[in-house]
Amino acid sequence: MIEISNVSRFYTRGADEVHALDGVSLSIPKGSFVALMGPSGSGKSTLLNILAGLDRPSSGSATVAGQRLDALDEDELAAFRAAHVGFVFQFFNLIPVLSAVENVELPLLLTRLSRADRRERALTALRVVGLTERANHKPRELSGGEQQRVAIARAFVSDPELIVADEPTGDLDAKNAEATLELLRTLRRDFGKTVVMVTHDPRAEKYVDVVHHLDKGVLLESRPGGSAQP
Amino acid sequence: MMKFAPLIWKNLGRNKLRSVITGIAIAFAVAMVCVLRMLPAALDGMLDSMSAGTRISVHNKAGLTYSLPYAYVNKVRAMHGVVDVATYQWFGGVVDEDKGVQFPNFAVDSDHVAVVFEDWKIDAKALEDFENYRDGALVGTMTMKQQGWKIGDLITLKSTIVPVEAKLRIVGEIERGPFVWFSREYLEQAMLAQGLSFDTTGTLWVRIDDASQVNPLMARIDETFRNSEAETSSETEKAFFSNMMSSAQGYVTILLIVAGVVTLCIVFIAANTASMSVRERVGELAIMKALGFRWRTLFTTLVVEAALLSTVAGAVGVLLSIGATNALRAITAGSASAGPMNAFFVSNAVLVQTLFVAFFIGIVSGAFPAFGASRKSVAQTLREVF
Repeated sequence: MIEISNVSRFYTRGADEVHALDGVSLSIPKGSFVALMGPSGSGKSTLLNILAGLDRPSSGSATVAGQRLDALDEDELAAFRAAHVGFVFQFFNLIPVLSAVENVELPLLLTRLSRADRRERALTALRVVGLTERANHKPRELSGGEQQRVAIARAFVSDPELIVADEPTGDLDAKNAEATLELLRTLRRDFGKTVVMVTHDPRAEKYVDVVHHLDKGVLLESRPGGSAQP
Repeated sequence: MMKFAPLIWKNLGRNKLRSVITGIAIAFAVAMVCVLRMLPAALDGMLDSMSAGTRISVHNKAGLTYSLPYAYVNKVRAMHGVVDVATYQWFGGVVDEDKGVQFPNFAVDSDHVAVVFEDWKIDAKALEDFENYRDGALVGTMTMKQQGWKIGDLITLKSTIVPVEAKLRIVGEIERGPFVWFSREYLEQAMLAQGLSFDTTGTLWVRIDDASQVNPLMARIDETFRNSEAETSSETEKAFFSNMMSSAQGYVTILLIVAGVVTLCIVFIAANTASMSVRERVGELAIMKALGFRWRTLFTTLVVEAALLSTVAGAVGVLLSIGATNALRAITAGSASAGPMNAFFVSNAVLVQTLFVAFFIGIVSGAFPAFGASRKSVAQTLREVF
């Protein structure tokens, strides 16, 4: 599903060159739930951005769902993300003027589905995350946990193969954090999604199949998580 | 793009107060621009209403302050196509010397004005009295009101150019203009009493029988007096008033410049609003790009949003201008003293042009901030904002 080969990413910050990633190679099989962990500045979010098609490597190659992302231009990357990737962010990042169901419907605006089909799929996704009754509420009317479940519904409503989550439990209390992790595991287990998550949350380890540890832009170790198949 | 319409609509209502205030600013400015743009046409309309196509003004080629021999009158009257001629002699009379000349006053041929100014619809009885009473005066309605005069009142006008004090009796009103007319014969006799001759006149107003013959007749009159002691310059009544009002046309130019500056100000107001609106949504735009929205799609929705606000506000402004000019015409209907106000009419061409300007303002004001925001790298924006 994901092949990261010798990927480096350098940024220029003023006169300095920052090495966010340095020769990282990684393989993530289809249908797995993976955590990228490490201290701040370790390069885990940069790696997530690259494999989600949000950023391009300075060198090396990233192949996701059979596409060489480092060879795609901006429009092609946008099309790739729309077709293959669902996003979950730490601060939920719902559009405040839209209701829960309209937020979930947002990625479907990029498809050829009719208005009625879009609405039906969005409501189905909300049912999966248990928020049917809150469909017409605006984000400010929802709790943090509910907002994150709406964000997860938005991430899988267009049926992408890959779901990336950047600190999905970072802004949640323990109960909602567990519920979110469980939901992500459900997506992997019941819907066959590949889920890649950046997290500092130690609770996440028991939900994932593999934990990749990064530090200073280098992949230090990969070890099985609590959900690893024997 | 239609499927993004609800998103655009909801974003417009994101900060309702700001959208409404911006819309009101645009609407009022557009209404003002519409009305100001029609000012030249309104002045033209006023000149049309003041002028007759069959009346010519003949004055000294050297200028209005120079006189013409009174003998010219009969020569012009004898020309083919001329119905009648009435002379105008500026009297420069004042009621109160301290206040100076408050209204234009002329000694006129009292037995000819009825024909020459037939279209002014002056009351027949007033004209009859004006012709029969040597000291009779016809006074403009506006001046009657300003001075608190009424028919039958005795008034005294002291000339500022000849040593004559005219003691006159008001015999009727002239609805058009502020003029005061009195008999040339009265002035002649008053001058003779002072031992002064009076064989000149200021302007000849010539009534002709065929409007299509105006230009040939004007040429013929001027040709007749070419190389004489006082050459003439003939012009249509509209051209005459237009020249008299040239200073007003200068004000019109200033007002049109103001309209241009106002339009520019609206661009900046709308651009500032659009810029604020985009700036507070940078994070959301990055999220939408992450979800797969292309920059062109986001750019288009932002520009459409700004254009929609501007165009709807522009349409409201256009309706306001129509309402305002309709009200103005209704209020000033039938009042000759209302000047250009009762000739104000916002033309369809101006409405369409102004609406287009409003739309263009929206496009321009939305395009710049939208371009910057939609082209920004997703990963960089996400790092900066979250």
